[in-house]
Amino acid sequence: MNNLRAILFAAALLLPGAALASERGMTIRAGDLYAEPYVDAAKLGPLAANQPITIVARKGGWLAIDVGGKRGWVRMLIVRLESAAAAPSTAALRTGSTGRTIATGIKGLDEGSIRDAAIDQAQLARLEALGASESEARALAAQGGLQENQVAALKPGKLK
Amino acid sequence: MIRPARLLWPLLAASALIAAPAAAQFGVLNDIVNKAQSAQKIGEGLRKITEQEEIKIGGDLAGMLLGAAPLVEDPAKQAYVNRLGRWLALHSARPALPWKFCIIDSDDFNAFSTPGGYVLISRGLFERMRSEAELAGVLSHEIAHVERKHHLEALQRGLRDQSLSEMRRYFSVSTGNSIADQFGSALLTAGKDLYIKGLDPSSEYEADRIGVVIAARSGYSPYGLGGVLQTLTATTDERAYAMHSRTHPLPLDRLVRLDAAMGSRFEALPGLVDDTPGFLELRRSAPSPAPVPPPKPAKQKRAR
Repeated sequence: MNNLRAILFAAALLLPGAALASERGMTIRAGDLYAEPYVDAAKLGPLAANQPITIVARKGGWLAIDVGGKRGWVRMLIVRLESAAAAPSTAALRTGSTGRTIATGIKGLDEGSIRDAAIDQAQLARLEALGASESEARALAAQGGLQENQVAALKPGKLK
Repeated sequence: MIRPARLLWPLLAASALIAAPAAAQFGVLNDIVNKAQSAQKIGEGLRKITEQEEIKIGGDLAGMLLGAAPLVEDPAKQAYVNRLGRWLALHSARPALPWKFCIIDSDDFNAFSTPGGYVLISRGLFERMRSEAELAGVLSHEIAHVERKHHLEALQRGLRDQSLSEMRRYFSVSTGNSIADQFGSALLTAGKDLYIKGLDPSSEYEADRIGVVIAARSGYSPYGLGGVLQTLTATTDERAYAMHSRTHPLPLDRLVRLDAAMGSRFEALPGLVDDTPGFLELRRSAPSPAPVPPPKPAKQKRAR
């Protein structure tokens, strides 16, 4: 059974989009460790609040984690990241497969740059020339295999 | 024959004495009426503007943000965020606005929207996205601000004492040409304050809730926004996130509220996407070269 679980876990990691450098985090509140990324999957055990974890993969609203040597899935929204693991910034600043770093002098966007800004008419004209028609948008969605869903508006939840 | 003249002069003199103050009084009245008209304040007037007027305000504020950070020279990515953004906006309450999306050239992590359907994201934000669902989450959050007119509502508070006739005058001139006028400059100042200080936390929480719904309706994982907020829980000290942190509620707080609102309501939705092949391809490709600028005509004619 443990072997099967390990195989399932390894298989899940091979899913497209799942591969990521590991990030370190911590549970925000208590929850459960699941065998698979579904609410009706088998539970592997409880997780306490403020428990340090390592994130090894992401899939929708789920994180594959390593918690004290134990592996499983946890709901994404109950996990925060450790400051030390701050964002995939270095990797993200490389452009794709070329690995070429972009950063040549930091271009910030702070209070001062907004305070001093004047309307740039030439840039605004170029922005106005952008945009996509409804049919262009639908073509992109069809190409990407995106399926529309009926989803009702969300009310604020009850905070515990 | 002398008597009538004798009688007439004092009469004429008297009537002149009466007439002079009357004219003066009439002038004063005119002044008061004029002042009353120009002193009429906007009050709740920004809530009653037309969609075209809202778009003019949004265009000028977007032009101001572009003055702080210009467009990234990458036509392929600009076109992609516009098709993606429009697809998401089609699932908002305002699908027919002339939505414009763009990536602006800043290493910092930030995203802005202005009234009327302008959405600007920084290059630093685009590059830090783990997936297309995260990007869809950010764009949907900004679309939600436009849908709920959060910025217009905030501007309304700051501009309520401005003159109504000045606002009418601003709207009567084409975009950008009236910014030096009284209302135009007041709008620019109020807009800068707003983008430096940020919206109310309640507006941000609402945009988070609407944003995840827009993403899910469009076929993306609604947890993309949660992933972005999760990134932000670790980055409060970094310079690139400083302005975003100052203008938004704590990401941990937003994550907890999103968890409470979403619960397990999205678990049963079929076929939610984290990345499309087209997006992965776009990210693999190096930035496309800047287009060669068109030759300038010998005589420059400015359409005004």
